[in-house]
Amino acid sequence: MDLLNQIIRHPVDPDYVLATARGDEPAKRRWTLGVLAMIIGALFAVAALQTTRSAPVLQSERTELINRVQTAEREQDQLQGRVTSLSGEIATLRAAALGDDDAAHVLEMRIDALDPVVGNVAVSGPGVLIVVDDSPSAAADARDRVLDIDLQVLANGLWQGGAEAISINGHRLSNLTAIRSAGDAITVDYRSLTRPYRVEAIGDPRTLQARFVESSAGAWWNDLAQNRRMRYEISDVKQLDLAADPGMVLRHAGRATS
Amino acid sequence: MIPLLGLLAGIVLGIVLEPSIPQVLQPYLPIAIVAAMDALFGAFRAYLEGTFTDRVFVVSFISNVLIAAAIVYVGDQIGVGAQLATAVVVVLGIRIFTNAAAIRRALFHA
Repeated sequence: MDLLNQIIRHPVDPDYVLATARGDEPAKRRWTLGVLAMIIGALFAVAALQTTRSAPVLQSERTELINRVQTAEREQDQLQGRVTSLSGEIATLRAAALGDDDAAHVLEMRIDALDPVVGNVAVSGPGVLIVVDDSPSAAADARDRVLDIDLQVLANGLWQGGAEAISINGHRLSNLTAIRSAGDAITVDYRSLTRPYRVEAIGDPRTLQARFVESSAGAWWNDLAQNRRMRYEISDVKQLDLAADPGMVLRHAGRATS
Repeated sequence: MIPLLGLLAGIVLGIVLEPSIPQVLQPYLPIAIVAAMDALFGAFRAYLEGTFTDRVFVVSFISNVLIAAAIVYVGDQIGVGAQLATAVVVVLGIRIFTNAAAIRRALFHA
C-alpha cells in the first residue's frame, strides 16, 4: 500500500520542483521541446499505424490456416472413400478367387459372419446409446472427469452384455482399438475425442441393456453417476449405423491349400 | 504552442513517412508510448504549477522511456516480460490518472 500511496502522492518528477528551487533559468532552448514533441507524435503515429496494419495480416493468417484444415479434411474424406472402394474390390476379388464349390461357400459364410464382429464392414441395427460426460464440477476436481479406464470398462461391459459392434463418438471399436488418455483428451484409435462421449452399441435389443446394467461395468458406472455426478444416460435405439473401422487392414493372406 | 505544433508535425511525419521500427524494438514501442504519455502529463502539470523546466522534461522523458523499455527487456530475458510490462503500465497508468486529475482541477477548478 505504501508503494501505491507513493505513486499517487508524487506523480510528477520531483526534479521539476528541485530545478525551480535551484533557480535554473526557464526555457531558452524551446526547440529541444519541439523536437521531443515531434518524436512523441511520431511514436504515436507509428504505433497506431502498425496496430491497424497488423490486424488484416492476422486475419488473413487465420483464414489461411482454416483453409488448410479444410483442405486436409477434404483430402482425408477422399482417402476414406478410396479405402472403402478398395475394400469392396478386395471382397470381390476374394469372392472370385474362392471359386464356386462347397468349400468356398462355407468360407464365404464364415467371412460374412466374422466381418461385422471384427469391425471390417459397416453395420446397422437396433441397439443402445450411452451418453457419458464429465460431471459439472470436473473443473474443480480432476476425479470428476471421465477417464480412459471408465470408457474401457464401459466398452468391455457392452461386449460382455452381448454387443456385436460398438463405436465411440463415431470411431468403431475393433479388437485392435486402443482407448487411451493422451494429455487431457481420451483417444480412440489414436484420435482424440471431444466431450460428451456417445457410445453406440448394436446388439439384441431385448437383452443388451439389461445385461449391461447388471454387469460389473453397469455397477461401475452407477457408482460414478451417483458419487461423482457424471452424466450417464442409457437409452434403446431402433436403428444405429456404425461405420467400418478404417484401421482394419489385411495383415495376412495365404493361398488356399485345397 | 511549440510543443503542440511539434506533436502535430510528428504525427503527420509518422503517418507520411511510415518509418519502419526494427523487429527487435517492436515489443517495446507500446511501453515507450505509455512512458512518453506519463512524461507529457507530468510536464503539463508542472507547467500549470509554474515549475516546468524543459531540461528536466527532456531528461525525464528519455530516462522514463529507456527505463520502461529496459525493465520489459530484462523481463523478456528472464521470462516474466508480460508481467513486468503489466507492472510498468499499472504504475505509469496510476501516475497518468493522478496527473490528469490535477490538471483538470487546475484548468477547470473542478
